[in-house]
Amino acid sequence: MDVNDPVTSIATIWPLMVFLLAATGLVIVMIGLSALLGQRHWQRTTGEPFESGMLPTGTARIRFDVKFYLMAMFFVIFDLEAIFIFAWAASVRQLGWFGYIEMLIFVGFLLLALFYLWRVGALEWGTKR
Amino acid sequence: MQTADFTALTPLLLLAAAIAAVMLQIALKRSHILTIVLTLAGLIAAMLGVLAVGDMPARQVTPLVTMDRLAFFFIGLILTATAATALLGCRYWEHAVGQCEEYYLLLLVAALGACVLAAAHHFAAFFIGLEILSISLFTLMAFARRRMASVEAGLKYLVLAGISSAFLLFGIALIYADVGSLAFPIWTARLQAAGETVSPLLLIGMGMTVIGVGFKLALVPFHMWTADIYQGAPAPTTAFVATVSKSAMVALLLRLFAPVDFTAEPALFWTLAILAFASMIVGNILALRQDSVKRILAYSSIAHMGYLLVAFLSGGPAAIAATVFYITAYTITVLGAFGVVTVLSRTDADADSMSDFQGLFFSHPWLAGVFMAMLLSLAGIPLTAGFIGKFYAITAGAQGGIWWLIITLVLTSAASLFYYLRIVVAMFSPPLENKTQPPAAGISYSGGLVLTVMTVLLIWVGSAPGPLIDLIGRITQ
Repeated sequence: MDVNDPVTSIATIWPLMVFLLAATGLVIVMIGLSALLGQRHWQRTTGEPFESGMLPTGTARIRFDVKFYLMAMFFVIFDLEAIFIFAWAASVRQLGWFGYIEMLIFVGFLLLALFYLWRVGALEWGTKR
Repeated sequence: MQTADFTALTPLLLLAAAIAAVMLQIALKRSHILTIVLTLAGLIAAMLGVLAVGDMPARQVTPLVTMDRLAFFFIGLILTATAATALLGCRYWEHAVGQCEEYYLLLLVAALGACVLAAAHHFAAFFIGLEILSISLFTLMAFARRRMASVEAGLKYLVLAGISSAFLLFGIALIYADVGSLAFPIWTARLQAAGETVSPLLLIGMGMTVIGVGFKLALVPFHMWTADIYQGAPAPTTAFVATVSKSAMVALLLRLFAPVDFTAEPALFWTLAILAFASMIVGNILALRQDSVKRILAYSSIAHMGYLLVAFLSGGPAAIAATVFYITAYTITVLGAFGVVTVLSRTDADADSMSDFQGLFFSHPWLAGVFMAMLLSLAGIPLTAGFIGKFYAITAGAQGGIWWLIITLVLTSAASLFYYLRIVVAMFSPPLENKTQPPAAGISYSGGLVLTVMTVLLIWVGSAPGPLIDLIGRITQ
């Protein structure tokens, strides 16, 4: 089947078109009907979260300690490095000793980076001594 | 991998070892002077590695990189420029607030990224090298973190480089969709074979790659970042951005597009030709109205990349040699020019406005002489490296018959004399009466060494270019 031919390509994707139309239609009907039929009121507790959790107080714009971001960043970085180790582990037999040594160098660099972070005090939570 | 592969990779491995050593040293014991010594030792070791293995036949190491003479030449250039930046940084960061050892670490990492770019043979290596370079550059630009302009420069570059990387990645994906391989030779062969009937997918992918390259080279219309970042970033970083980042990208430009025959691929030729034309015109016109020396140099760098593209677009073997010569001459000149700016800068603010340079001849005659030589080289006055570079570019262009670009080059270079000479005139004018002279820090030995070496190279290449032309002829054959 030639997918570049317009006739055949429409013939193959028409269920998708129907699905898209149906999904859009469903959303329009649901929102439209409740807008038409629903009641409107605005009382003291209307805007509050319904039966779920605490009432929100204060503004969301408070100052977080920058260390939260720092920690999160370290986590993401080291987590990503772990993905490379997984990729190596999946094909460890094919890569053999050469791959093993390469991975040792990689992990060595990671440990060196961790040592550096520890020494410069990036892992300290309290104020710098 | 075999032993020969490791031999070919010697410079990169030494550089990586230097990064580990510097990081360990900072972790164990902070000492500015020790970091500088280690950094320079690593760079010199890598340079010796280039000299030792640079003459061996081209070798493809893994599908990602090819270590050939062109790669070794550019790696040597990058290492030299990095060493010069590190030396310029010595005095600049000495009195800086806070810790400054990481500056050298980041410089080495950025240099490694640039070296990977110079040897890239595959779009994956291209992207990895580009990101190693860019991510280090953000931090290098924002390193003077007490200065608003510096942080702003880093942030601007972060956002804009991110956008350009997104374009590049999309382009790479489209090229992969069409060609089915990420290796450069397969791509260029496909482009060559397709001729004028190139598929839309490949055409769009190629256009997006040009955007990625054009951003790094600051070609018009991807030049918006240049002036603010040159002005805001600390002077040594600006020197680094202007030399290392650009020469690595020029190496990549040669790998990507030099094998393509431009007569068979007019779309590529016209894209690059219009970028070159716009860069020459816009860069020079914007530079005319500036009052900040760093901004003038920023706009002039845009124009210079336009001149370089004229050499590149002429096609044929002369084009590659002319391009390599031009970027070498440009690197020497710009390192000298920003070297003077760095030497004159104080820790709180860089020497930037025209009044900082007014009467320089009377207070520091030697510095004024060096700066004048660098500016004349940028303008393309005989007996300087810039003149030979421009001459070579025009010769190559004439061989390729792209007369309209050559005429633009000549006319815009003539106009550029105005703003270069404005700085020279300011330097030789009597000093301002009411100006409080900056504390005479004096020229450090390291800064003086860089300026001396660059000036000697400038005059040497400008008056006797034979050896360099022979060397470039050997690497580009």
